[in-house]
Amino acid sequence: MSVTVLLQLVENGLVLGAMYGLIAVGYTMVYGTIQLINFAHGEIFMLGGFGALTVYAWIPGVAHLPLLAALPLMLLGGVVVAVAAAVGAERLAYRPLRAAPRLAPLITAIGLSLALQQVVSLWYRLPGGGNAKAPVAFPSFGGKAFNLGGVLVQRADLFTVIAAAVCMAALAWFVARTRSGRAMQATAQDPDTARLMGIDPDRMIVVAFAVGAALAAVAALTQGLRYGQISFDMGFVAGLKAFTAAVLGGIGNVRGAMLGGIVLGLAEELSSGILAHFRDTAQYGQAWADVWAFVLLILVLLLRPQGLLGERVADRA
Amino acid sequence: MTTSSSLSTGQTGATGLTSLSRATRRRLGQGAHPLVGKCLIALGSAAALGSTFLAWTWTTAFPGDLTVTGYPGGNQLITLFLSILTLLALAPALVPGGLPGTRWMAPRGSARLLRGLALANAASTGYVVIAIAWELGGVANYVAGTWIAGASALLAVLGAWLLPDDDHEPAPARPTPRWAQVVVVFVVVMLGLLVADFGVTTGFSEEFIGFCLGAGFAGRGLAASGLFDRFSALTAANRTATGCAVLAAAVSFVFLQSSDAYTSVADNILIFATVALGLNIVVGLAGLLDLGYVAFLGVGAYTAALVSGTAASRYAHVVLPFWAQALIGVAVSVLAGLLIGAPTLRLRGDYLAIVTLGFGEIFRITMNNLDGQSGPQVTNGAEGEYGIPDLRLFGYDFGRPHTVLGHTLGRFGNYYLLLVLVIAVVIFIFARVDDSRIGRAWAAIREDETAAEAMGVHGYRFKLLAFGLGAGLAGLAGTIQGHLTSTVTPDQYTFSSSAPPNSAFLLAAVVLGGMGTISGPLLGASLLFLIPDKLQFFHNKQLLLFGIALIVMMRLRPEGLVPDKRRRLEFHERETAAEEAYEELVADGLDGADGSDGLDELEAGARA
Repeated sequence: MSVTVLLQLVENGLVLGAMYGLIAVGYTMVYGTIQLINFAHGEIFMLGGFGALTVYAWIPGVAHLPLLAALPLMLLGGVVVAVAAAVGAERLAYRPLRAAPRLAPLITAIGLSLALQQVVSLWYRLPGGGNAKAPVAFPSFGGKAFNLGGVLVQRADLFTVIAAAVCMAALAWFVARTRSGRAMQATAQDPDTARLMGIDPDRMIVVAFAVGAALAAVAALTQGLRYGQISFDMGFVAGLKAFTAAVLGGIGNVRGAMLGGIVLGLAEELSSGILAHFRDTAQYGQAWADVWAFVLLILVLLLRPQGLLGERVADRA
Repeated sequence: MTTSSSLSTGQTGATGLTSLSRATRRRLGQGAHPLVGKCLIALGSAAALGSTFLAWTWTTAFPGDLTVTGYPGGNQLITLFLSILTLLALAPALVPGGLPGTRWMAPRGSARLLRGLALANAASTGYVVIAIAWELGGVANYVAGTWIAGASALLAVLGAWLLPDDDHEPAPARPTPRWAQVVVVFVVVMLGLLVADFGVTTGFSEEFIGFCLGAGFAGRGLAASGLFDRFSALTAANRTATGCAVLAAAVSFVFLQSSDAYTSVADNILIFATVALGLNIVVGLAGLLDLGYVAFLGVGAYTAALVSGTAASRYAHVVLPFWAQALIGVAVSVLAGLLIGAPTLRLRGDYLAIVTLGFGEIFRITMNNLDGQSGPQVTNGAEGEYGIPDLRLFGYDFGRPHTVLGHTLGRFGNYYLLLVLVIAVVIFIFARVDDSRIGRAWAAIREDETAAEAMGVHGYRFKLLAFGLGAGLAGLAGTIQGHLTSTVTPDQYTFSSSAPPNSAFLLAAVVLGGMGTISGPLLGASLLFLIPDKLQFFHNKQLLLFGIALIVMMRLRPEGLVPDKRRRLEFHERETAAEEAYEELVADGLDGADGSDGLDELEAGARA
């Protein structure tokens, strides 16, 4: 295996991991504030993709703009849809159950995930009358990939990495420097004391859901650009992987989520790439990629349940 | 705590609303003489009964042929039955205190029983009346019988709501000899079988909807009148007899069938229900959310198929007898359960949910990949194992018809009897385990694991036991399912798809039916299988509706259709506590001089 091939695998892994990381932030922030695994987060991600596509396909003129100019509009559409869905779910489905036994919000989340998938599959329409029962085409960058000494970097890959870096920087600034961010940290640490300090925990929980949804929408946009299509059920596997990334990095830890995503992406690409390199296992590569991700999840839970960056969370874990 | 206070305010608001409507109703009822209500019910039900012997429309375009004058058919049978039931239920209300010998029909008062039955009749009949106009295009398709049926059913409802409330604490049941209790249990169970048989064998969607509406409202009425409570007390006192009666009823179902058409439906329901019961051990008893449960069914099915001698298997030369297949299938399932459970059950429940979700996905991908292309050839990939031979057990070939007691059992009939046996075993295990030290340990763990550990319950060990037991039972069901469907493909075992059983359907069956109960998942599985099967227009929206059903159930009735007493208390712990505190304060207030202040204080507290 030449160095170029290895570097190419690393490049693929980094890009894939950056996307997982963006979704994983949503799991980890919600978990950090109310210790709830929002199973429907994968569907929020999916809705973000369809929000972006809606802007592209339905608003006259957007499709004729150069893609770079259309991107901010699409991003806005995706973020609006995803945030609205996440905040609505929090308000209508999760908040009434905050005092209920643990099983109740989990089952609600499963129900929500099924329902959101089906809503898109049944009723999403494209301008030409096409529906979303099968994968739908998403605009993608034209033009050739950049060649960095033999390693091919697709334009969408570049966009993904830049978007992830900008989002993580903005998130770090938000959490550490703004009043809301600090209030959110306080709520995560101790909701009762935070309330005594004049913070409204309900509002902070909504903010956590909204921020996670916004990043998921960015991830959905990068997914659409990279693969040239989105589908109503893409949130299922992506959500599972992102959750794995969140656990890997240490659930509740925002930086850990991105780190976990990148480690997972690298592990996935390298494992299937290296398997493909040997003749006996040449065919075993891509088909098993998802399996490696879950094996990794189980190994992490077995060996280091608090994750890479997680603190010892005895009562949580 | 915001959450608890907002919850209790909501609760106070809701209670206020119901009490208001009940008061209004009482005032309405007091205005009319009770006799008026009874007469209206009698008149309405009798007229509805009579109308079923008339034609309800003049074209045969409406399914079930309602054009015949002289005898009832199709949906008219449901109206006929419900009208007779309503008339019978009038007996305990006829004279104050009830006609002697009929008081058992309404232990808690007959008004709610009559309202339930009248509403059931009106809902079922009214649905048909509307459906005739809707489907055939206008009220021009009505004939005299239609108008009589609709109006008289409504009249009975009006009468039932004019009745004064007569809710009271149920009188203690008169002591009856043992044999009489057993006879009652048998008769009721057999009647239940006939109702279930009617539901399963409904031939068209209108009949099924009419049946569901009628059975649902009638069931509510019977529950409100206290009849169900009395019957469950009877079954609790005669558990062996109840078990025998249910088994006998389940077996006799197959002898009621003249063809295999509905037996295959019943087979599928039984598989679905068996797996749902197994999942209920994991979710309902131990409180562990397993989202990849169907994979254990798949493990059992694949394991049995691989050693059953099908040509598609890599081990086609290995042909084991069924008992050996079942043993291996169960063993492999349990092993898979322990492999998944051992690392995750040490952690909090949320991790288990996601790991099992992942496991379900891994299972499907792995079965897909072991096709000789992306992996070694074991399972024949996406095409799956096909041509799995029929079961043979002690020389009894399940694939061939047999004549038993003068009744010919087809292929599905044979499997039906085996599946009844298997579900009986599962129910037996469920009931015994729930009632044992293990069951109590599970209850303690699911309510508060830390407290349970402090009391000396070894949480991890008991959780692993629940997980392994659940996996084993699903594996057992799987070994039979493979033979029944004769093909096993990876796509049968996904998280969500349009055909049961899959993990989402299974969870919905358990949650809808009632976590921690035996009858809950049975009811849930039957409904979730029959609804998409009978209602074709529903076919592509079932997942959406089940998703919404899960959300709504968790919000409004988390304990399910058939609630377990302890479960209900767990889910409504805070509300119950608030109500008790309120009642205590009310009691104090009546004694003390400054009681009203205390009440005001509490209400202010609830508002804050």
